[in-house]
Amino acid sequence: MQPFIDQIISECEILQGLPLWFSYLIFQLIFCGIIFVFVAVFAMLAGYAERRVAGRIQSRIGPNRVGPQGILQSLADGIKVFLKEDIIPTHADHILFRLAPYFIFIGMFLSFVAIPFSSQWVIADLDIGIFYLLAVESLVVIGIVMSGWASNNKWSLLGGMRSAAQIVSYEVPVALTILLVVMYSGTMSIQGIIMAQGAAPWNWNIFQTPFLFVAFFPLFMGSLAEGNRMPFDMPEAESELVSGYNTEYSGFRFVIFFFAEFSNLYLIGALATVLFFGGWQAGPLPDFVNGLLGIETPLSAAIVKNLVELCVFMFKSLCLVFIVIQLRWTLPRVRVDQLMNICWKYLVPVAFFNLVVMGIWMVVVPEYVTDIVALCMTACGVLLLGYFFYRVAWQLKNTKARLRFNPLS
Amino acid sequence: MRERHPRSVNFEIPRYILFMTYFSNIKTAVSTVFEGMTITFSHLLREPMTIQYPDRTPLPVKDTLPPRYRGFLCVRPEICTACTLCQKTCPIDCIVIEHSKDEELKQRVMTRFDIDMAKCMFCGLCTEQCSTGAIYFTNEFEASTSNIKDLVFKFIKQGEKVIPYKIPRKKKPAAAAAETQAAAKEKKE
Amino acid sequence: MTESNQPEKVFKTEEMVLNMGPQHPSTHGVLRFELTTDGEVMTKAVPDIGYLHRGIEKLAETVGYVGFMPYTDRIDYVSAMTANQGYAMAVEKLAGIEVTRRAELLRCTASELNRISSHLVGVGSFGLDMGASTPFVHALRERETINDLLESLCGARLTYNYVRIGGVSHDLPTGFIDKAMVFLNHFEPIVGELNRLLSDNKIFIERLANIGVISKEDAINYGLVGPNLRGSGVKFDVRRDEPYSVYPELDFNIPVGLGKAGTLGDCFDRYYVRVEEMRESAKIVRQCLLKLKDLPEGDIMGKVPRKIKPPKGEVLVKVESSRGEMAYWIVSDGSDNPLRLHCRTGSFTSMGIIEKLSRGMMIADLVALIGSFDIVAPEVDR
Ligand code: SF4
Ligand code: SF4
Repeated sequence: MQPFIDQIISECEILQGLPLWFSYLIFQLIFCGIIFVFVAVFAMLAGYAERRVAGRIQSRIGPNRVGPQGILQSLADGIKVFLKEDIIPTHADHILFRLAPYFIFIGMFLSFVAIPFSSQWVIADLDIGIFYLLAVESLVVIGIVMSGWASNNKWSLLGGMRSAAQIVSYEVPVALTILLVVMYSGTMSIQGIIMAQGAAPWNWNIFQTPFLFVAFFPLFMGSLAEGNRMPFDMPEAESELVSGYNTEYSGFRFVIFFFAEFSNLYLIGALATVLFFGGWQAGPLPDFVNGLLGIETPLSAAIVKNLVELCVFMFKSLCLVFIVIQLRWTLPRVRVDQLMNICWKYLVPVAFFNLVVMGIWMVVVPEYVTDIVALCMTACGVLLLGYFFYRVAWQLKNTKARLRFNPLS
Repeated sequence: MRERHPRSVNFEIPRYILFMTYFSNIKTAVSTVFEGMTITFSHLLREPMTIQYPDRTPLPVKDTLPPRYRGFLCVRPEICTACTLCQKTCPIDCIVIEHSKDEELKQRVMTRFDIDMAKCMFCGLCTEQCSTGAIYFTNEFEASTSNIKDLVFKFIKQGEKVIPYKIPRKKKPAAAAAETQAAAKEKKE
Repeated sequence: MTESNQPEKVFKTEEMVLNMGPQHPSTHGVLRFELTTDGEVMTKAVPDIGYLHRGIEKLAETVGYVGFMPYTDRIDYVSAMTANQGYAMAVEKLAGIEVTRRAELLRCTASELNRISSHLVGVGSFGLDMGASTPFVHALRERETINDLLESLCGARLTYNYVRIGGVSHDLPTGFIDKAMVFLNHFEPIVGELNRLLSDNKIFIERLANIGVISKEDAINYGLVGPNLRGSGVKFDVRRDEPYSVYPELDFNIPVGLGKAGTLGDCFDRYYVRVEEMRESAKIVRQCLLKLKDLPEGDIMGKVPRKIKPPKGEVLVKVESSRGEMAYWIVSDGSDNPLRLHCRTGSFTSMGIIEKLSRGMMIADLVALIGSFDIVAPEVDR
């Protein structure tokens, strides 16, 4: 962030008169506000998109009445929920009950501080950014346990307890995988990890070695579990626990839960993008766009560059978000003991194995072999994608389905 | 504690097989999830089945219903014979027919024919009993009102008198033959 | 209780009594379970039934033989046609009424279509209980077509009241056979897709394998019926073992549980029997439709007296409903109304074994168990 702000200040006469710390503060506040708006808008749009995608997956249409193509549906729902009576159960623990949503929200929001949007647009590029992310995300579990406990509802309590067990366990494979990436990139700074990768797929971490490819799955599943997403949505398993830890919430507090859930969706996508998919790396694309637009001034060039990188980053994250959404509408829910099994018997050993083998690999295998392997892995990835679409076509043919490609109808 | 089925903890299974199941578990899990994803993805390309009732349907839903559809009941009092068979068959007594001898007209008249659609269970027993088809089902089905009394359909307005329909008597061939025979006999005598 | 100083008693934990239902997403209606749990593991779950008791059996004593027909729809609203048929057969047997062949074929077609739609609901909502919401909607989408077919046949989508004592209310509408054939051709690949999406899914199998295992003996002793019984490997189906209607002429298999996922008689077997039964029912409907095509137009009602007044006596008639054997027992005293009518249903019998099976289960397993019995709450209470 600092270089970008410096650049703006150097361009802007008025700001030069102000003390440096003051303009820094102002800019940081502005960016915080932007992030807040981003979170809110993203949560709303993600809620809408999820419902539309789910609709089409289920041979339905999804919300299409409020605003053009129903895009304001989440807003309408939000307003509706706001107008609901704010109920606190009589025997609930009032203080904790009120506090819990904010814990969840803060835990989620603090993560955005370290998540980059482009090479320069990041609130704080911490040296231990990835470590910070891990730490801050755990705040969410406190909020969930709090809300489960404070609701004085046995189902909520069960949800809260499940969530505690789940998030604490799944942090282990996630941390191990992150450790692997940190080891491979040689830095704990998020920007550093992205910088260690490149724009082309064979420069992404995921396609570097087979082990890094496998390592992606513990991370992805772990962050699904930490975000309480299907198939690991134990804490709010609606067919078992009614609605889990947020059963007793209504009104504004419920909206906060909703926000937290959907912005978490973005965090899942962004984290995986940062670690495995080359983050905002756009290669020659920004220069190309700059050339196209004929931009000369360094500030606007920087802005365009950042915008392009933002788009690249968003595109990758949103693709992952789409996969998360699609997974939710594909899979059944696992049972709570199986959840632990998957974590401790499958993900943790796999993550450990990857860590160790990758360490050896880094010492033993020469650079050029890794490059060749990376190319092969990329080819495999493309083949896998091709096979996916081949299967999709086969499914359509097998059931003689009538097609409609227009996503909005 | 959780009862485990003997098969899930079988100590005689050799180690290497357990090791194999470990990997086959991963394999089946990955492949079936992959398969599921292709199916759900393929549904993104299929036609949705939603009927956007009520306002965005190509035809009003009412007109797409099959002719046998059992919607609201309707009565044509002009051809009702006041036989009250429908009233008697209705299992929940939601048809009320009142008929009496009218002094002015010197005839039986119907003064009331109410069907309580809020009670009706659309079973169709009443329409089957009717010999003239005076009571029949329509394709109307939108029944929400703010007052449940609106659902009592009155087919004969208050104070109105309806003369029951008389089915023109067609003599049965056997009866007609017997009559002619009787007439012939009379003639002979 | 005296105070004890032993440390293990000081840290004694209590069991928690949880109230699942009457309004709970996975009790399939208004049904209540009282769970005694130790954390996630239950020590027992006691079903508490009766929230949907509407006194349907008692109603029969006042509405008469003909008037009771629409009430049989409400006994099991997911599979009303078989309930209709069972009742009609009971009264026909009591009053000695003959049914024409065309009517029998029509009844059979309608019941089997209804069985498919009922199993679709059962299988789909079972998926929903397990957290997979998409197969549920896909199943309901297919059911919608069946509803359309039956609507064109009898005018209603859910409470059909199609069967009459002595026959059926309507003959086939024009184009029904073609439409039904188109549906069946479309439906069979869909079952495969449902299998690929749900039944083969590793998570789904893991959720169900070895859960709620009912041995053959237990299944018989607890009086389980229908797919729940067949899931335990007992090959008993009223349609084949005590054949009625036109079933003897038809060619179909009785799917039984094979222990494909784990142990014989677990939740997966009960689930999978239903999936297979949908295929078999589709086969039956095909055969019935072909037979109906060949059959010349004819009466759909047998000779029924104007007033049905069966002689004194009692009958017990069984049909294979979607939820298993459905038995009607009617006592007649020779008057217009039955003296006593009793209806024994599949969901009710499966309530009995839940307490035994639930010991040591997890809460999520109980959801699987209830779902695997394919309980329809009004059928439990009637
Ligand atoms: S449809 Fe059935 S319930 Fe309704 S009025 Fe007719 S007989 Fe009565
Ligand atoms: S509607 Fe039909 S059955 Fe009812 S009283 Fe009139 S003629 Fe009789």
